[in-house]
Amino acid sequence: MFQFLKQHENYKELIWVLAKTDFKLRYHGSVLGYVWALLQPLAMFAVLNFVFSSIFARGGGEPFYSLQLIVGIMMFTFFSEGTSSGMKSLLSKSQLITKTYVPKWTIILSSTIHSVLTYLMSLIIVVVFFIWKGLVPSFGAVMMFLFFSFLIYVIIVSFSFLTASLFIRFRDLAMIWGVVTQMLFYATPIVYPLKTMTENMQQLLLANPLAFIVHFTKESLINDHFPDLWQINFFIVLLLLIFIISIFVYKKTSKGIAENF
Amino acid sequence: MKRDIAIEVKNVSKKFKIPHEKIDTMRSIFVNIFSKKTYEEFKALDDVSFKVKKGETFGIIGRNGSGKSTLLKILSGVYRVDEGEVNIDGKISPFLELGIGFNPELSGRDNIFLNATILGLNQKEIKEKFDHILEFSEIGRFIDQKVKNYSSGMKGRLAFSVAIHADREILLMDEVMAVGDMRFKDKCLDVFENFKKQGKTIVLVNHSPEVIRVNCDNAMVLDGGKVMAVGDPDEVMKEYERIVNV
Repeated sequence: MFQFLKQHENYKELIWVLAKTDFKLRYHGSVLGYVWALLQPLAMFAVLNFVFSSIFARGGGEPFYSLQLIVGIMMFTFFSEGTSSGMKSLLSKSQLITKTYVPKWTIILSSTIHSVLTYLMSLIIVVVFFIWKGLVPSFGAVMMFLFFSFLIYVIIVSFSFLTASLFIRFRDLAMIWGVVTQMLFYATPIVYPLKTMTENMQQLLLANPLAFIVHFTKESLINDHFPDLWQINFFIVLLLLIFIISIFVYKKTSKGIAENF
Repeated sequence: MKRDIAIEVKNVSKKFKIPHEKIDTMRSIFVNIFSKKTYEEFKALDDVSFKVKKGETFGIIGRNGSGKSTLLKILSGVYRVDEGEVNIDGKISPFLELGIGFNPELSGRDNIFLNATILGLNQKEIKEKFDHILEFSEIGRFIDQKVKNYSSGMKGRLAFSVAIHADREILLMDEVMAVGDMRFKDKCLDVFENFKKQGKTIVLVNHSPEVIRVNCDNAMVLDGGKVMAVGDPDEVMKEYERIVNV
C-alpha cells in the first residue's frame, strides 16, 4: 500500500548518524571523555581482581587470571549494555516515531552499532592489558575472539528486536532485565574458571550461549584451547534461529506503536 | 491512480482506543489479570476521501480535534490506516514538526546533519547544501555553539532551513510558517512561493481561512473526522465559517 521504502534511501547513513550521535552525546561534555566510558568496567575489574585473584590465581592456580577477568568483563559489558540500550532504543527515540516516519529497525540497529563502538573502545584496554602481561595469543585465538564477539552482537541484535517494541508497552521490562543480567553475570564464568564447577554444573552452564562464548574465549586466548566444531555449529544454528524469531516478533510487535505511545 | 495525482486518499478511517486504565507495565498485567479491560473508542477519521493533484497547493482546515494532525500523520507514514487506502506518488516530506531529532547538547552543525539525515538526505547532499542551509538560517558564527544556547527563534530558523532543503516532491506543512521575526517570515513566504513555482505539491494545514484562501488551489474542511466540504477554497471556507459559528 504505502511505498515508504522509497522515502528513506539513506538507511545506512541514518543508522550510522544516529549511532554516532549517541556515541558523541554519551561522552562529550566531560573532560575525561572516553575515559568515563571505560571507568565502570575498569572499576569492576579492579574490585573483582582484588578479591578473587587471591582465590583463583594463588600458587599459580589460574594462569593470567587478570587477563581472563578483563576479557570476560568487557564481553559481558558489551552484552549487558547492548541489550539494555537496544531494548530502550525505540522509547528513547520516541520523537522519531511519533513525529516523522523513520523505519523503526534503523533506530534499533543504530543502538546496537553504538554498543559496538563502545565495545571497540574497551578492546583497546584489553590489548593494553595483554601487552602489559606479555601474553601474545595465537592468530587463531584472536580470530575466535572476534568471531565470538560477533556472536554476542547477534545476541544483542536479536534481543533488541525482540524487546524494543515490547518495552514501549511494558516499561518495567528494564528492571526485570536488570535483575536477569545480574544473575547472568554470575552464571557466566567471568570471575571464576569453569573448571571449579562440578562436571554436571559445567555442562549446565555451557548451555547458556554467553557462558559458552566467554569460557571458550578465555580458553582460546590464554590456553590456545578451542571448542569442538560441532559445539560452535550448534550455537550458530541456535543463535540464527533466535535471530529469525526475533525478526518475526519485531514485525508483529512493531506495528502500530506510534499510535500507542 | 492517474498520473497527475500526487495523493489519493480513499475511504480512510482511523480509530483510537483509549483505555480507562492504561496498562504499561508487566506488573499491572498481573495485577489486573482478572479485571475487565475497558476502553473508549475514538474515531479520529471517518471515511475520508480526497485527491491532491501534482503541483497543487491543498489546504486543510478544521477546528481543534477535527482530525487534521491524524490525517497528516497517516500521509507521512507515522500512523497506519484502519480502513481505506492511501496512495502517494512522489517523495513526501514529513514536515509535521520542525527540528525532529534536534538535540540541545549538540552544536548547530551536528544538528543540521542529524536532522537532515532523519529527513532523508544523504551525507553528500547535506555537505552540498550545508552552506545554503546555514545562510538561510542566519545563524552565522553561532553554528558551532550548542543548540541549548540558542534562542527559540534561532532554533526555529535552523530547523526551518533544514526542512526546506529536504528537497521533496510533496510537502506537508502543519502551521510551520510561524517562525522568526517579520523579515524571516517574508523569506519563508518567498520559499513557499518558490516551491509552488517549482511545481511541488503542498499540503497546507492552517487555522486561518485567510491563509488558505490566498495560498491554496483547493481546500478541504474536516470536522469530527469527517470531510465536510472539499473543492474551491472560497466555497470551502464559507462552510468552515458556518461550522465555526454554529
